[in-house]
Amino acid sequence: MAHLWPIGGGKGGSGKSFLTSSLGRLSAELGKKTLVIDLDLGSANLHTLVGVPYPQKGLSDYIRKKIQRLEDAVVETPQSNLFLISGAHDNFDIANLPYEQKIKTLRAITKLKYERILLDLGAGTSFNTLDFFLISQNGIFITTPEPTSVENVYRLIRAIYFRRIRYCFTATQFKALEKETDREFGNGAMNKPIYMMKMIAKTDSEKYRQLQDEFGAYRFKLVINQVRKHDNTSLGLQMSRMMERHLGLHVEFAGNVSYDDHVHDAICQQVCFLERYPYTKTAGDLREVGRQVAQDAGKQLIFHYV
Amino acid sequence: MCSSGPAAGRSKGDLMQKGFDQLSYYEMLDIRPDAAPFEVRHAYNAALQIYQPGALASYSFFSEEERQEILSLLETAYRTLISDQARKEYDEELIRRGELDVRTETPLSPRKAASCFEISRAPVVKSFNNNTPDYRDRIRQSERISAILTKGELSGADLKQIRTELGVAVEQIAEETKIRRDHLLNMEEDRVARLPATVFLKGFVKSYLKCLCVEPVEELSARYMDTVSRHAPS
Repeated sequence: MAHLWPIGGGKGGSGKSFLTSSLGRLSAELGKKTLVIDLDLGSANLHTLVGVPYPQKGLSDYIRKKIQRLEDAVVETPQSNLFLISGAHDNFDIANLPYEQKIKTLRAITKLKYERILLDLGAGTSFNTLDFFLISQNGIFITTPEPTSVENVYRLIRAIYFRRIRYCFTATQFKALEKETDREFGNGAMNKPIYMMKMIAKTDSEKYRQLQDEFGAYRFKLVINQVRKHDNTSLGLQMSRMMERHLGLHVEFAGNVSYDDHVHDAICQQVCFLERYPYTKTAGDLREVGRQVAQDAGKQLIFHYV
Repeated sequence: MCSSGPAAGRSKGDLMQKGFDQLSYYEMLDIRPDAAPFEVRHAYNAALQIYQPGALASYSFFSEEERQEILSLLETAYRTLISDQARKEYDEELIRRGELDVRTETPLSPRKAASCFEISRAPVVKSFNNNTPDYRDRIRQSERISAILTKGELSGADLKQIRTELGVAVEQIAEETKIRRDHLLNMEEDRVARLPATVFLKGFVKSYLKCLCVEPVEELSARYMDTVSRHAPS
């Protein structure tokens, strides 16, 4: 069974694709057979970062049934051991993946024969992103030390939380639950996971215990990207404490990645940053994050709730 | 990570379930019930870093009212735990509610900084007191010293004689004047070639004489310098 790491972050431009390609490369260098999948449907560009500017096939071929099996959509990259399922050349309507197709894709991903699979997710909190994120217990959040980015990552985490609760109930049950929560705790309470969980605890203690265990088992990681010299380096630990305290979610801080203009240069020249500038602080940070992430792989949750 | 042992051993899920306002003050500040005052202060500062308005870590996480509520709770917690009296009363209340185990009071011994080197800062040699009338009498009464002082020359050997007559060790002079011992010895043994430059030597001999309380310093030091320059190879 492959280890799956979905990488999401809410805001665009926080470095999801960059982190995915870097971690993928580091993992491939260790001799692990690694696959990176571009699930940023509708605005894919992971292929550019891993050195395959014109992939011959990709995810859309599988979704449009031009390719029967997902493993046939895999293309090789210049780096040995690193493989890609590209999201390039998608249809314009691929961003709105129908539910059945999404489930089919998720199942196919879990059956792929690779040691490590990294999913590059899109910005925002669309159901696609949330469901792909919940495929594994090891999701990685990435944010920059800016209010906009922090806001979006909290938003994403809450959305994932709600999405998970939602899977426990039928649509009508969930509606009723929302209404009940609102009535019990006042206006806006249904938007707060704590209140919703309190409500569940009251009405259905078995489901509550199940969800509690579920949330307790998640081993999310948090990476702070583009940390400049004067930024607060303990932001990651503080955010992790916030989420543990107020959401009951275990989100482990995996490290800061320093800001470096060379990243921009490497992307513009379309070369791998880790290869071109291996001795920068940023490259060292990325290697450290890679170690942290691989260290505690945990148990794989294969979306048995879908 | 930070929460190394939530106060009364509750699981994290329970902590969340309770809501912030129902936590004990120890849980709010994320410290153990036996935390020392400096740990309380440190924890309060750390919590402020997270919750104060404008803090990045909690940006958009709370509404304005929720944030104010949390901040005022934190302040109450801090004020209670930092004051010995209030903390004692609060602990008793927690014990009554069964949320805190009665623990045997071990008086906190104030922690001292551990010394990493066993350096004795006391002077190595016994300092001598040259300010007593007794000592001054000794100078006046000693025939040998008056004999030396009336001579037209003053050599290093003379200095040494004065010193031994008064029963003072070289180390004691070195300690008082902060002049290196080997300089003092070179002066006393008249090792002219090894003496420091004239400017320094002038100062050294003055300090030496002042230290022994032999007077008049100015005149004697001039006499010594004169003697040395005559002995020096021209």
